[in-house]
Amino acid sequence: MTGWHTSDDLVTRYTDGSLPEPDAWSLEKHLESCGDCAARVSQAVRETAAGVTLAEVREAVLGAAPTTSPASASASLSRSQSRSRRRLPFPSVGSRTARVLWAAGPAVRGAWLPAVLLVAFGAVALAYGADFDAARPLLLAVAPVVPVVGVALSYGAHADPLHEITAATPSAGLRLMLTRTAAVLAVSLPLLTLAGLLLPASGAPAAAAWLLPGLTLTLASLALAGYTGFRTATAVTGGGWLCAVLAPALTARGGLTARLADQLSAYLDGAPAQGAWAAAAVLCAALLATRRRAYDRLERR
Amino acid sequence: MPTIRVTGLHVRHRKTVALDALDLDFGPGVHGLLGPNGAGKTSLIRVLATVAEPSGGRVEILGENTGEQRRRGTVRRQLGYLPQEFGYYPGFTVREFVAYVAWLKEMRTADAPAAVERAVGRVGLADRIDTKVRTLSGGMVRRVGIAQAIVNDPRVLLFDEPTAGLDPEQRVEFRELLRELGASATVIVSTHLVEDVAAACTEVTLVDAGRVAWRGTPGSLAALGESAGAAGSAGDNAIERGYTAALRAHRDSGRPQTLEGTAR
Repeated sequence: MTGWHTSDDLVTRYTDGSLPEPDAWSLEKHLESCGDCAARVSQAVRETAAGVTLAEVREAVLGAAPTTSPASASASLSRSQSRSRRRLPFPSVGSRTARVLWAAGPAVRGAWLPAVLLVAFGAVALAYGADFDAARPLLLAVAPVVPVVGVALSYGAHADPLHEITAATPSAGLRLMLTRTAAVLAVSLPLLTLAGLLLPASGAPAAAAWLLPGLTLTLASLALAGYTGFRTATAVTGGGWLCAVLAPALTARGGLTARLADQLSAYLDGAPAQGAWAAAAVLCAALLATRRRAYDRLERR
Repeated sequence: MPTIRVTGLHVRHRKTVALDALDLDFGPGVHGLLGPNGAGKTSLIRVLATVAEPSGGRVEILGENTGEQRRRGTVRRQLGYLPQEFGYYPGFTVREFVAYVAWLKEMRTADAPAAVERAVGRVGLADRIDTKVRTLSGGMVRRVGIAQAIVNDPRVLLFDEPTAGLDPEQRVEFRELLRELGASATVIVSTHLVEDVAAACTEVTLVDAGRVAWRGTPGSLAALGESAGAAGSAGDNAIERGYTAALRAHRDSGRPQTLEGTAR
């Protein structure tokens, strides 16, 4: 801090408006950091005609905003004041967790998360509460569709209320889509696998056998969405899986549980089946990478 | 030096033509986009916002071709866009909403909190910053939309019907904000309220049926209205009469008209 302070002459000329603009600026700059000079200038201004007007404005503003706090009243008094206002602590932006939650997007915040919990807990409740022996096969049949539904609810004009604003930001496109998909998978994969582990086997494949198909169907949905949009893509992949599993099980003879378990075993059990799913996943990922530009402006009206 | 340069822009929605071989330049300042409903104002704004894809032509913003994906990110970082309609996540407060958009715009984490408060203060919602967006009135939600658009201090601002739902006093305040923003940024405001244009814009572009019908200053549009007043153009004031006269002249001639020396 220098020892320089505003002279009385300078203050007088500033208050009556005769001080040249550059000098007025440098004086104002000094006032920002020097309380004594600021008080002297305020005193001088208050004695002029502008002081009366300022007092009136202040009163009118405070009168018009009876419920606001002092901080917000001063903010509405002048924009420059609100700029220099003390910054409030801002935990919701800085923290890493909040940012991850934000990135997760609409699905994880919306109705999808309760739906996942319902599927997981519902399966366990059915198995132990109602002695329903088909809980594991049913869970395995439904589980791969869960992340697909999550993807459908995560991105695009139909699912994201903020989409129109989001689409004009640099985050839009493949990256935001993958971030949200990752959030969907991070929630659904462990939860449903855990639920599956708690259920009696009933001749169905292992609880973790759906992981690779679930991932593959999700990637296939993303890859297909580049051509058709998310609604159609997820309807095709999710609906396709359900038809492939449920249709033969429903039409064939024998106990439903056994048929469903057989059907699932055919799709999920053994190295060749899992290998095929893995190959399909790699294929879809490659397609996504080569067509990454298609996601930049996906929705056209 | 124009900040936005549009050449031969063609936009088609299914089978209807929204914009037809449009050539336009915009520089810093506030540009009013006037025109009847369905003239193509929203189509133009959405293309400029890099949200919609043109079926033909070239759009250059801040010297970058928005047709190239790599360049688009650079443009988007310096863009502010208020859509005609937008939604929000039900649980979000004003602060969270604007901060989320700041995050989407890849603002630095250290700068974001102050920028959010500043943007919310500029639209006069400082005392509502921690209120849930869903509890706000329509006019306030629109102001939240304006706050998210300006949070990154963009060099190009696109407002689609920003004054819809604002009461007269808020409109006056918004025009003041427009003038402030127009001092450094290129601001394009689509509106059907002629008085917004007269009060806040440095330049007017009249769009009709996907083509530029007229370009000039609000003053020259009013002057057109004065001279057209005798000819019986409809309108309650000079600038409204100018609007109808320019539209009629454009429709009669079938060709775009420009007042020389007024377009920037």
